[in-house]
Amino acid sequence: MKLRHVKTGVVLGSLVALGLASSATGQSTPKIWTSDPVADRQRLMKLNGASWADAQAKLKAGNVEAVAVNAETMALIATQITVLFPEGSLTEKSKAKPEIWQKWPEFESAVKNYGMQAEKLRDAARSKDQAATEAVAKEFGRQACGACHTPFRVPPPQQQAPAPPQQLQPR
Amino acid sequence: MEFRHVRTGVILGSLVALTGVGCATGQKTTMGSGDPVADRQRLMKNNGANWADIQNKVKAGNVEGVAVNAEALALHAQRITLLFPEGSLTDKSKAKPEIWQKWSEFQAAAKNLENRAGTLRDQAVAKDAAAVQITVTTFGRDACGTCHTPFRVPPPQQQPAQPRS
Repeated sequence: MKLRHVKTGVVLGSLVALGLASSATGQSTPKIWTSDPVADRQRLMKLNGASWADAQAKLKAGNVEAVAVNAETMALIATQITVLFPEGSLTEKSKAKPEIWQKWPEFESAVKNYGMQAEKLRDAARSKDQAATEAVAKEFGRQACGACHTPFRVPPPQQQAPAPPQQLQPR
Repeated sequence: MEFRHVRTGVILGSLVALTGVGCATGQKTTMGSGDPVADRQRLMKNNGANWADIQNKVKAGNVEGVAVNAEALALHAQRITLLFPEGSLTDKSKAKPEIWQKWSEFQAAAKNLENRAGTLRDQAVAKDAAAVQITVTTFGRDACGTCHTPFRVPPPQQQPAQPRS
């Protein structure tokens, strides 16, 4: 008898607590992304590709310092990548390989590596050291993008070494 | 007597439920460094730098090149409100307490940045130089200012726009 009352209380308490918690988090943590993680991450990675293309164009034009903003954008975007790969989000439109979820810690460290390489590029650009910035940029495609794309992304058709700069599409 | 048992149960149930919620939401916050003031200042600095890059590109006639920076602003804008948890007003922060007193207005101001940045991006992608010019001319007031004026302590001696590196 007593146990039954405790049980009723547990259920009541849980419901009230969850209700309060969800209204509290509802206020302070609005949803950032849509309900489509594939579209969200493709949008995010397109911005990464476009930022990288912009950085390369600036470097070619000798505008070293201006590369910093793109590199920092990539570093900030890198912090958002793993949350956009929830388990089971592998649709037909996705180029993700199942290896992402099979080797999750490796995926996480590949993303972390990407963020660190972007910071390296940013710091080189901020120092206005053209040679140093070019040295980081030269390896960036392989060491930052490739270290994650090679094991974890299905290659685009006929892709040769570096991916062509991606264009932002109107939405 | 029975009431006491129900009460015990209520407390137990609440604790278990809240622990569960704490774990679930704890996972989401791993995106940040744990210091929301530093995180939001870093994000806003990059917004400022992207905005400076936009202005330079427009000045140089590189209208299409604006798109990447505008999209960065639009995506960053989605994260702004998350980086202002209640009680995160420190000495180093330029946030005004009005943020939390008028939370829905703050949310709308952040959303306004996202929308305007999206408009600028689409105009740049369409290579519509005239439209980009118009949006850029009013952006400081209509996108940055509508949030900074009510919700940020102004930097000392700030005149219209500050150069950023």
